[in-house]
Amino acid sequence: MRFIIQRDQLLASVQDVSKAISSRTAIPILTGMKIEASPNGITLTGSDSDISIESFIPQESDGNVYVEEIKPGSIVLQARYFSEIVRKLPEQTVEIEADANLKVIIRSGKAEFNLNGQSAEEYPQLPKLQTDDSFTMPIDLLKGMIKQTVFAVSAMETRPILTGVSVTLQGGSLHFTATDSHRLASRTIPVEASNVEFANVVIPGKSLNELYKTLDDSEETVEISVTNNQVLFQTKHLNFLSRLLDGNYPETSRLIPEQSKTVIQAKTKDLIHTIDRASLLAKEERNNVVRLTTLDNNQLEITSNSPEIGRVSEEVSVQSLDGEELKISFSAKYMLDALKAMEVEDVKINFTGAMRPFIIQPVNDDQILQLILPVRTY
Amino acid sequence: MNEQKQNKARVIFHLDMNCFYASVEMAYDPALKGKALAIAGNPEERKGIIVTSSYEARAKGVKTTMPLWKAKQLCPNLIIMRPNFNRYRQASRQIFKMLAEITPYIQPVSIDEGYLDVTEVEGNPIEIAKKLQADIQRNLHLPCSIGIAPNKFLAKMASDMKKPMGITILRKRDIPTLLWPLAIEEMYGVGTKTAEKLRKLDILTIGDLAATDSYVLKRLLGINGERLKNRANGIDPSPVDPEAVNEFKSIGSSQTLPEDTVNERELKQLIQVLADNVEKRIKRKQAAALSLQLTIRYHDRKTITRSKKLYEYIDSKNEIVSIALEMLQSHWNGEPIRLLGITLQDVEEKKNIAQQLDIFSYEKEEGKEKISAVIEKLTKKYGENPFKVLTEEKQENEPRTSFQKDFLDDYKK
Repeated sequence: MRFIIQRDQLLASVQDVSKAISSRTAIPILTGMKIEASPNGITLTGSDSDISIESFIPQESDGNVYVEEIKPGSIVLQARYFSEIVRKLPEQTVEIEADANLKVIIRSGKAEFNLNGQSAEEYPQLPKLQTDDSFTMPIDLLKGMIKQTVFAVSAMETRPILTGVSVTLQGGSLHFTATDSHRLASRTIPVEASNVEFANVVIPGKSLNELYKTLDDSEETVEISVTNNQVLFQTKHLNFLSRLLDGNYPETSRLIPEQSKTVIQAKTKDLIHTIDRASLLAKEERNNVVRLTTLDNNQLEITSNSPEIGRVSEEVSVQSLDGEELKISFSAKYMLDALKAMEVEDVKINFTGAMRPFIIQPVNDDQILQLILPVRTY
Repeated sequence: MNEQKQNKARVIFHLDMNCFYASVEMAYDPALKGKALAIAGNPEERKGIIVTSSYEARAKGVKTTMPLWKAKQLCPNLIIMRPNFNRYRQASRQIFKMLAEITPYIQPVSIDEGYLDVTEVEGNPIEIAKKLQADIQRNLHLPCSIGIAPNKFLAKMASDMKKPMGITILRKRDIPTLLWPLAIEEMYGVGTKTAEKLRKLDILTIGDLAATDSYVLKRLLGINGERLKNRANGIDPSPVDPEAVNEFKSIGSSQTLPEDTVNERELKQLIQVLADNVEKRIKRKQAAALSLQLTIRYHDRKTITRSKKLYEYIDSKNEIVSIALEMLQSHWNGEPIRLLGITLQDVEEKKNIAQQLDIFSYEKEEGKEKISAVIEKLTKKYGENPFKVLTEEKQENEPRTSFQKDFLDDYKK
């Protein structure tokens, strides 16, 4: 195997693929990165057996030549060393050559690295997805959905299914839900997928976080294919494969209250800043609790109290405040996460009582929903 | 707190029950009186060690923590009994009730010892002590020793000086003659490790310690060095704190296996048992914990402890088991295990915890809220809460060890 490649293109691909590679893995060869040269271009592969990422660097694209003098072949290199080397090479072009004894030479300018490779035949075959159940959506929309939901997955392994984001596609709308059982984030968008429908697909939160980082912000589209136990995200030059979580995602739609007793409309930023300030005195190990009290004249009071530290209170004006009086305590962290994920100027909050979940949504958009369970203070 | 008292010379008692478990057994079955009696962990298994013994057994050389077989060698007609913790707990509770009749300033330290601040109590302290000792002997048939001193440390040292049924007064002016000649390991607060360190500096008696430069001690033992030096000089400002028993920061349970094992099923079973134990104890305290510590002792006695900070407070057996198992998986090196221990740390009473509601169960909590609203209303109407929380309390098997202290405030109930 031999080829000469543009360092920038190689580096970008190496960095993408590295996201799937873990230094702690049950299969030793998975600490390596597979490099495959074919006449069309170079494919890099990394995997930790939960996530696999394949990045393709075409020989040429839009008239730009990225790879030259390709002699097909393949090799596996220690990912840790390979990515550091590529990052620090001196020149814009890199020559990589592997011989039959798995000896690899990397040359750039006057630098030359001799590395020991491993046979690509020992690298596990990535599962080939055989499915017609695929649909396409814009990358930026997918990234938005991930960002607005994935933060709410559970960090605890006590209920493994909740460490994932539940994805359903039904009646032309794609729906993401994540909950750690204390708060819930969901987002719905319409997609043009006439004949595909699925439910109970649960993608690990970790996979979606990596996918988010791997996908470029672009106008391009991503094709999503789902099977029983895998999901594949394909862009022009990238294949991102993740296993799915086993088990049934709990039914959450019935948990979302439909009525409300107290309704607030407010500027998102005002709420964020006030709650952020109040949380300065809220102790993390006690759930970061802040208290919201409704006052007259469209005013709220946000307070927090830690006996050992001190007390803070601040009044904040809202645009409207309707319904019953309310005193409610909740985690400042959950509230801030939800408000920040919204990315809108105005939000409305529907409360249903001090001991019941409340819902935060953009004022004129019910496709984004953040739900938070309050904190019971004794 | 008690500012007035701080200025005035204080009178502190340390009450120490003599051979407590053995004495309780003898009170229960007078036929045992005058015989060599030992209470041992578990006579059948190898974890059987002497927990306590009567003076008759001690005369033959039987000591606490000695393995059973060795004790039997020294004293062939030793009577060995399993501990009946419920008996001891009951006796303990009665003793502390008697103390509470003298003064509210009681600090229980363990099942069989405690401090009293009798500064404010009218009467001659020696007479009070004599009467207390006689009352305990008459009502419960149990012997005790009492130390009388101006602070807790000296009182503790004093109660140790004459056993059984001693009453010892240790005044400040007695320190050079009574306290300083004692070997350093006799000093309360100096364990074997500390004693070893001190001996290296030629500090062999409490008097030596009293005369050592505090800078040297601070370098050697940190802040505790200074505290020990002060105590050696008869200075101990710590108050008798009745609330100290409520400041529990951890609740733990550990157990040695019958045999060293790598059998995962056995280890899992043990974890179930330990979790069951700590669950009972933490529920009794109406508390919950934010960290869990797992102790693994291997066949070669090498011991590791690992703690994990949790995301939310836990108090149920299931949660404890699942976290303990997860930790065992990640920290066990596969070698045979001799002992496992589970300790809940960062324990907080539930009333101080803000409880994050759960989407899958909040409706239950909401129900409770309605109940408490009703209770509040009725309380306002009738002046006092007409309802009582019935706590299910299994008397059997509880407490399980002499180290656990979560029942020491029972005398208040």
